[in-house]
Amino acid sequence: MMTKQQAYSISAADLAARGRDQIPAELLSSTQLIYNSPAALAFNSPGARGFGVKRAGLSIPGSVMLLIGPGCCGRNTTILSAEGGYGDRFFFYVLDETDIVTGRHLYKIPRAVEEILDVLPQAPSAVVLCLTCVDALLGTDMERVCRKAEARVHLPVVPCYMYALTREGRRPPMVAVRQMVYSLLKPQPRHRREANLLGFFSPLQDDCELYGYLQQLGIQTVREIGRCRTMEDYHQLSRANFNLVLHPEARLAAQDFEKNLHIPSIELTRIYETDRLSRQYQALAQALGGTIDDRAEREATEDLVRRVGQRWHGTTVAVGEMLNGNAFELALTLARAGLTVKEIYGNVTPQDFVWIKALAALAPETKIYCNLGPSMLYYDRSTGAADLTLGADAAWYHPHSVHVTWDEDVQPFGYAGTRALFSALDRALSGRSS
Amino acid sequence: MRGLWKYISPFAPDQSGAAAVLYGLGGLVVVCDAGGCAGNICGFDEPRWFTGAPSAAFSAGLRDMDAILGRDDRLVDKLCAAAAQIAAPFAAIIGTPVPAVIATDYQALRRLAEKRLSLPVVTIETKGTERYDTGASMAYEGLCRRFARKELARQRGRLNVLGALPLDTGCTEYTFLQEFLRHRGWQDVRIFGTHGLTDYETAGAAEKNLVLAPAGLAAARYLEEAFGTPYVVAYPVLPKVEKLPHDVTGKRILIVHQQVLANEVRRHLKGADVTVATWFLLQADLAQDGDCHLQEEDDFIQLADNDRFDIIIGDEFLRRALPHFHGTFIDLPHFAVSGRCCAYD
Repeated sequence: MMTKQQAYSISAADLAARGRDQIPAELLSSTQLIYNSPAALAFNSPGARGFGVKRAGLSIPGSVMLLIGPGCCGRNTTILSAEGGYGDRFFFYVLDETDIVTGRHLYKIPRAVEEILDVLPQAPSAVVLCLTCVDALLGTDMERVCRKAEARVHLPVVPCYMYALTREGRRPPMVAVRQMVYSLLKPQPRHRREANLLGFFSPLQDDCELYGYLQQLGIQTVREIGRCRTMEDYHQLSRANFNLVLHPEARLAAQDFEKNLHIPSIELTRIYETDRLSRQYQALAQALGGTIDDRAEREATEDLVRRVGQRWHGTTVAVGEMLNGNAFELALTLARAGLTVKEIYGNVTPQDFVWIKALAALAPETKIYCNLGPSMLYYDRSTGAADLTLGADAAWYHPHSVHVTWDEDVQPFGYAGTRALFSALDRALSGRSS
Repeated sequence: MRGLWKYISPFAPDQSGAAAVLYGLGGLVVVCDAGGCAGNICGFDEPRWFTGAPSAAFSAGLRDMDAILGRDDRLVDKLCAAAAQIAAPFAAIIGTPVPAVIATDYQALRRLAEKRLSLPVVTIETKGTERYDTGASMAYEGLCRRFARKELARQRGRLNVLGALPLDTGCTEYTFLQEFLRHRGWQDVRIFGTHGLTDYETAGAAEKNLVLAPAGLAAARYLEEAFGTPYVVAYPVLPKVEKLPHDVTGKRILIVHQQVLANEVRRHLKGADVTVATWFLLQADLAQDGDCHLQEEDDFIQLADNDRFDIIIGDEFLRRALPHFHGTFIDLPHFAVSGRCCAYD
């Protein structure tokens, strides 16, 4: 059989013309084998980079994790433990075939938790039991196992579902872990001048204007799980009057807050375009019955975007998806600033069409690739098609370009995020010029 | 407690060993998983993934309903779609815990895939519960059985090298080994995995097989049985072992590594009382009295977390489990343990 031996791509114009209901099969990861190029590894092995289920599950301050699964499921934890400073917080119950066939491990877990506590210099705040595809298929009632373990060790023991099989379901692993990390909170009186930010496991950038705007709206205390150092800090999260949901994967966690703690939520989206940011802040102010004066922040941001855009007008860019943002929205932001977006590597969803249509009008020739598609095996990394890459994956495709990986733990958000992004691009490109 | 690992992270699993053998052969390799297993293989257990030529290794991207309903036909559909985009001389399907739990019929899957692809398909029934060398052994043997052609004339001076996997050797490039072997008279050194499928197809033509790790033994035995090719088990060029004392006479030494490499290190420790222990395959005919197989973390703690040995040679990641060992610990990286490479001269 003859093959083309080239990576599949489609122009933004052609994709926009097809519309959200006719996305080509070559762009849909659910209908194809998934290619694990080094660019796309964070998709398939999220624990290895950034916050995957394992690292995220340890967001509960002072907690430890017992991963229950075949040895292969704990494998990349080695690097996470070694480089991430989690060495003393991970433990493994390695399932063998007999465990899987008989389910005997379920009887042993409470004792395993007890043994872990015996070797720890001080008691953890909680024990997280991390389960894998095997227990998903066995239909294990891990809530029950957790209760038994709790009765034995007199500490909170909570399940954490690393069920990769459910990745495209209603409750994929990164949604479930966002629910789990708040599951130990207990109801307490709400304080009307306090709020939580949900969605990320690490905090927003310190200079994010959202903190100031919330203060303008009378919110004196803003909490995030990524800033909780102790269980005392953590339990304060249930005092909030409301939650701001900053990542769609935290929606179910927000629903849990509402149901169990009677704390309502408002959703904000991380975007980099200043006009949409401004509209979002005005909508937030309206919802909270106040006003947000964002003129100064907006002007400063637009001024910076304009200056950087003018300075690097026409610079060619490749945008990936392994970064803090939506690849298509970021590409549109850069195109509007005057940069030339040549390529985007993404996993196209119908929701992205709002950005893709706008991009098609502005930069119709932009090529869109499926990061995970099998034909990416043939992506030619030697073309030098981009001066600049944005995202760790884009950097892989263009090794000789200037790179801004934009995937740090601290989360960019709001006008401050846009300024940080354009400053980073400016610094990177200036470095190359000098 | 059996099964509980408190200090040491899990080692490279069987599917990683199988994938390592298939790396670079040019086949279309599908890890039959939901995503994480393939991610671990490529992101952690295969150092060549980042430095070598791209390899067509994919995840099947199984989802819950695929597993619950046993939708093998969907996997074959995906495989055919990929084969239409990728030129490959064969396809391979590597097992993981998901197909193991749902008892996938690999033979049926292979026949189904071969019929639709018109390509040879090999299936490697790894389960994710064994260690890398078990999977590597299955892959080596499976490939030899499937592809080694009969009726080839014996080539004098040809040496096949089995077991040269980064997981076992800690290195990704074997020029030094080829040079070493050429200097010893082998004109045609074939390090399996570095020249595509051809080495397997012509495996029966070798004058001799050299086995660097237990993972290569089953294939070597098959080649001996099928083609009469003799084999030798040896590790001709050792990695650098830092801080090894010159005089170890009378010392009690424990070496923890893959058995062939460990045996070779022992050979250099004249006058010492050396024990080899391994978490991986232990061949009785390569072992000496006192050598032992480690299954559980507790086995290792019981053996070495005391002052029974003066020196322990092994991957330093293992040291965490030995707070009561007061002797000298000499680091000898083992990629399958820590993901660290070795240095060779």
